[in-house]
Amino acid sequence: MIHQPPAGTRDLLPLEVAQKRWIADRLQQVFHRWGYQRIITSTLEWVDTLTAGGAIQPETVIQVEDTAEGRLGLRPELTASIARTAVTRMAGCTYPQRLYYSANVFRRSSQAHHGRQVEFFQTGVELLYSGSSLADTEILLLLADGLQHLGLEQWEIVLGEAGLTRSLLSVFPEAVQETVRYCLANLDRVGLENLDLSPELRDRALLLFDLRGKPEDVLQKVSTLNLNPQETQTVNNLKTLIDRLRNSHSNAFPLILDLSLIETIDYYTGIVFEVVSTRQQQYRVLGKGGRYDHLLELYHPHGESAPGIGFALNIEELHSELSSSEELPQKPPSSHWLVIPTTPQAEIAALHHAQTLRHSDHVVRVELELEGRSPEDIRDYASLSHIEHLVWVDEQGNLDIERTQAEQNLSQDG
Amino acid sequence: MITVALPKGALLKDSIDRFYGIGLDFRAFLDDNNRQLQIEDPTGTAKAMLVRAQDVPVYVEYGQAQVGIVGYDVLREKKPQVAQLADLEFGDCRMSVAVPADSKYQESRLLPPHGRVASKFVHCARDYFRQLDLPVEIIPLYGSVELGPITGMSEAIVDLVSTGRTLKENGLIEIDVLFHSTARLIAHPLSYRLNSDQLTDWLNQLMNNQ
Repeated sequence: MIHQPPAGTRDLLPLEVAQKRWIADRLQQVFHRWGYQRIITSTLEWVDTLTAGGAIQPETVIQVEDTAEGRLGLRPELTASIARTAVTRMAGCTYPQRLYYSANVFRRSSQAHHGRQVEFFQTGVELLYSGSSLADTEILLLLADGLQHLGLEQWEIVLGEAGLTRSLLSVFPEAVQETVRYCLANLDRVGLENLDLSPELRDRALLLFDLRGKPEDVLQKVSTLNLNPQETQTVNNLKTLIDRLRNSHSNAFPLILDLSLIETIDYYTGIVFEVVSTRQQQYRVLGKGGRYDHLLELYHPHGESAPGIGFALNIEELHSELSSSEELPQKPPSSHWLVIPTTPQAEIAALHHAQTLRHSDHVVRVELELEGRSPEDIRDYASLSHIEHLVWVDEQGNLDIERTQAEQNLSQDG
Repeated sequence: MITVALPKGALLKDSIDRFYGIGLDFRAFLDDNNRQLQIEDPTGTAKAMLVRAQDVPVYVEYGQAQVGIVGYDVLREKKPQVAQLADLEFGDCRMSVAVPADSKYQESRLLPPHGRVASKFVHCARDYFRQLDLPVEIIPLYGSVELGPITGMSEAIVDLVSTGRTLKENGLIEIDVLFHSTARLIAHPLSYRLNSDQLTDWLNQLMNNQ
């Protein structure tokens, strides 16, 4: 029998690991600079925990066991797990909580898409217990800082306000509200036109559909609607947020305000956003996020409510986006030294010398010749593996150091 | 540059006319000698690709084309993640259930449970009979669906009907209509949200030039 990885999964070989680690490490440096701390949660969760927020459908969870206590599944995202642990195990910690993660997630693909990826790598942040507009600003600036640190230049953020859009939908009769919302979220203008609505309401629905574009223009259009005090407050907060972004980011913060950017469920409560790469017209969603002020209470033992906001970036998408970047490692790291015992009696001396090298002040990669190959084979191996130095060790511990072709090329390049 | 996906077949001519109406000339596709799959309009503003009707929403969903024209029937069948912007009101037809003229089943509801229905539109057919709470076996066919009941393989068919001539010539009659279909203007959601290449202006022109 031939053993293959399951459809939709794959193995990452050393070069790809080195590249993806580079991406995750760069982002991690930025998260640290903003005072975020790493959290690691369980890959396995109760399906009920994963789906409590309403954003995850049970059929998209890969379920691994059905026990008397309930069903277990692989996490499709981390916000649910972090919310669960934040309100229980971390209760009593100082507020706010700034957390980040870098982990794999799993999503069952629908049957229509055979072979579609099921295991993904994500890195993201959650800022818990702060509901302020300044917290919204921090999250968007942190996102932009991360992208900038990766060397990404052509991207744009599509920003929505789930709370505001939901409120603007309340003028529609309850029976059609869900349909209007579905049509907005799925950009189905024909669906809106065909709804059984009064001419005024139809115009209102089509106006909502078109609330998209330059933030200043969109906010201007929204202000002409008959807003209630709460809506006016949200619009003002958006204005403040956009002002802050424009004035705090080194170059003009690329932003589109799109009030039809909503989900069909009430998961997000405030700003919601997607970051899209716009390089060469190949639009790619690099990550998304938003504010979820009613999520933590679902996990709190006494249902206490607390605000939260965060985003997740998809490492695979960032990797494809950066594939032509010169900064990305182009080969897996190679060893600096190959230590070769010249005879079986020299093995102890070789082990000692290798260990001495490994304890140098700067990090060096040292490997040991294990096979007793001929000097010619060893030189071939060293050249194929880009090893810089060979050191031949005899039984008295005498060293004969040889620079390889790889090292000479390197010094010529340097 | 904007890329447009155009459907081969019944909707092609009207689709090309619509784009011509807003100054984008893809009439080269109408030339019988044309073998090109992609052409640029003479002003160099937009590119068009000629693809099978069922593939139009695929190219648009994946963003290889920002705009497409396709029948509502295809959208119902494939449920692609695309923005549906306008009903272009041409290519009128309907998705219908048909049976042999002498069939004893003159209504969909009366078809025998676990009866067989042949169709190219497997999802539409399945959804319809589910809604009727009538368990039937759907037999996927990719052309000349009429042969299903003629050969006795199936009791009925679900197919797209425009004039009804094909049905008539094969001794079939329509007994129920699932939905009416016309050509729709669709767009790649992200390109639409980001208004790349002033996409919205072009789309608005197409929508207003009816």
